Amino acid sequence: MSTTRAIINARLVDPASGHDGPGGVLIEDGLIAQTGNELDLDAADDVIDARGCILAPALIDLRCAKEAALTPDGETLDTLCASAMTGGFGTIVLAPNARSPLDNADGFAGMNRGLAQRGVRVLSACGATQGLAGEQMAEIGLMVRGGAVYAGCGDAPIHDARLMRRLLSYTSQFDVWLASRPADPHLAKGAVALESDWSARFGLPAEPAVSERIAIERDAALAELSGGKLMIDRLSTAAGLDALRHVRSRDLEIATTVAIAHLTLNEVDAGGLDSAFRMDPPLRSEADRLALVDAIISGEIDAVVSDHRPTPFDDKGEPFALAIAGTLSLETMLGAMLGLVHDDELELVDALRVMTSGPADLIGLPQGRIAVGAPADLILIDGDKPWVCQPDAFASARGNSAWAGRRFQGRVLQTIVAGDTLYNS
Amino acid sequence: MSRAEFSYDFPHRHLVSVADLNPVDIQIIFERAAHHLAANRTPDKRTDVLRGLTVLNLFFEASTRTQGSFEMAGKRLGADVVNFAMANSSASKGESLSDTARTLAAMKPDIMVVRHSATGAPQFLAERTGLSVVNAGDGMHEHPTQALLDSFTLAQHWGSVGGRRILIVGDILHSRVARSNIGLLNILGAEIRLCAPPTLLPSDVDQWGCDVFHDLDEALKGCDAVMALRQQRERMTGGFVPSEREFFHLFGLTHERLEAASPDVLVMHPGPMNRGVEIHTKLADDPDKSVILDQVESGVAVRMAILELIGGNIRKEAAA
Repeated sequence: MSTTRAIINARLVDPASGHDGPGGVLIEDGLIAQTGNELDLDAADDVIDARGCILAPALIDLRCAKEAALTPDGETLDTLCASAMTGGFGTIVLAPNARSPLDNADGFAGMNRGLAQRGVRVLSACGATQGLAGEQMAEIGLMVRGGAVYAGCGDAPIHDARLMRRLLSYTSQFDVWLASRPADPHLAKGAVALESDWSARFGLPAEPAVSERIAIERDAALAELSGGKLMIDRLSTAAGLDALRHVRSRDLEIATTVAIAHLTLNEVDAGGLDSAFRMDPPLRSEADRLALVDAIISGEIDAVVSDHRPTPFDDKGEPFALAIAGTLSLETMLGAMLGLVHDDELELVDALRVMTSGPADLIGLPQGRIAVGAPADLILIDGDKPWVCQPDAFASARGNSAWAGRRFQGRVLQTIVAGDTLYNS
Repeated sequence: MSRAEFSYDFPHRHLVSVADLNPVDIQIIFERAAHHLAANRTPDKRTDVLRGLTVLNLFFEASTRTQGSFEMAGKRLGADVVNFAMANSSASKGESLSDTARTLAAMKPDIMVVRHSATGAPQFLAERTGLSVVNAGDGMHEHPTQALLDSFTLAQHWGSVGGRRILIVGDILHSRVARSNIGLLNILGAEIRLCAPPTLLPSDVDQWGCDVFHDLDEALKGCDAVMALRQQRERMTGGFVPSEREFFHLFGLTHERLEAASPDVLVMHPGPMNRGVEIHTKLADDPDKSVILDQVESGVAVRMAILELIGGNIRKEAAA
């Protein structure tokens, strides 16, 4: 592997600086040494002529999941990383969930050292409560020392406002985000759909959109009281967005993520009760989706997350209301976001910002930008290449994809991490 | 307009939702059901139009009357009827519904009659197995044969349901019977009224093509039929009304309240009934008003009609 590489003649898009124009980079020892159109190519062992391609920072995902070790045919760290690099990700963060609560400080540092050997940079968040049960605090301090990049509450909101206050207060001393699903625990209980015309006709247990608004207002008030840093973990409704705007008028540290499913799908996609579209949070209305897209343009969304979630049966084995929630999304997230660009809903630089410098800035990573001295985590994209999402062809071990059969335009050609090409189409 | 003017055959191989039916389909079902209703009153009930076909009754939720009604319907048509009590079988041993479906399909039945607690389960089974499926109730979604037998019962009394004013009172929110009835009565051109406390109505009910009331006396004015629904305690989480007593006083059907309705008003209930909660016991037993037992009788005839029509299409497909 050469230590000095150059990529030239690309359309260089760097959301951190707002640059979108012709350019290239010179990479030395895994770092970006020069950028621009007049690189010193004499020293380069390897020059990639990227004419017609987009050069951008490698993508960063703050929320994905693998399956528990030894799950038969399960999504392992290997298949997860293969899936990530195919999808253009240079950095992914394992988030806690019920099956893998990441709540044990014993061995947490060792686990993170193991994760660091994977080519793709794999980081880990930690569970904020023991077993994510929302009752007892987990050893967040020890896990942050062991490398946890934020503390998360999993898929369920914290019921108890007093515990939420203490979690925000306690995590504030480590300067880490506390990620919490914005849902009122009682309004959201048992829900598999948004409360709407569609779900009422099907008689599906449903959650009203104000559930999200109530939770954001409560958690923001508690963050104000405690001085904690609140990460709204997958905003999904316009009602929630209204609440976010309201609470941001006060001087609070609030970050917001949105899952790719809620940006590119709506409840009508689940109209045939196809279990592939069973999500948690559930898919919302088209008005909600459009409001989230607008919030990306206005810079109110810090990061878009894959919420990549492998499930044991490709067809999930059960009808919609009983099916396991979630979809694979690492390999389709860029395609789905580029779909918004091709549909003129988003500018490319805005679409990339929430997948690169946005998440990097939240957790203090040096990558996610094309700047001298930054890690050379980069992707080359053919922005127009058409392809069809076929789960059988995924690098992932599983096949549950809400985008199965969709046509995309734009695909990753190379994923480069620390100057090395990990994936080359 | 009579069906004889058209060359049109019942086209369906499944009955998952009333929304799949058009007025002519419904007319065909009613014509066949009227034939079976008459035959069922004679000692020669049994025919063999479904001989050789196997009907599987798959009830993932406990049921007495619907399952018995389908079983009787299948047997009177000469089909082999097998009851699988799914409520305490492989489903409780952790098998997924798609595996259960494939296993049962391998036994080569022809029609599956499915009741399940989850919306969409009958459609899911139809997609996974390719077999004909009759929905016998899925979650809070639909119960199409109940709606058909309700309208058939009314049509037996009136000749036609179109233009009549029909009130559904009680737990609309959790009721698949209400959803199917609203759909079907809309297709048949009836005027539908709903009456319930706001906690027992779906949030968008004003968009369902019905007039919505919270005052029963107001709602009953000029009604030709009123259908009382049971509170579905098994689907409720938390309290929706403070007490059964309060519910009866506000929404329970009594002779006195029916004074506001049409003098020939018919009283219906899909059962099982909670006497003294949604309906006064004397009214339930009043043969001049209550058609509750007629509904049960119609149930067998309507289910025979559906199994017969679907069975006929299965045979046609096999021959082609």
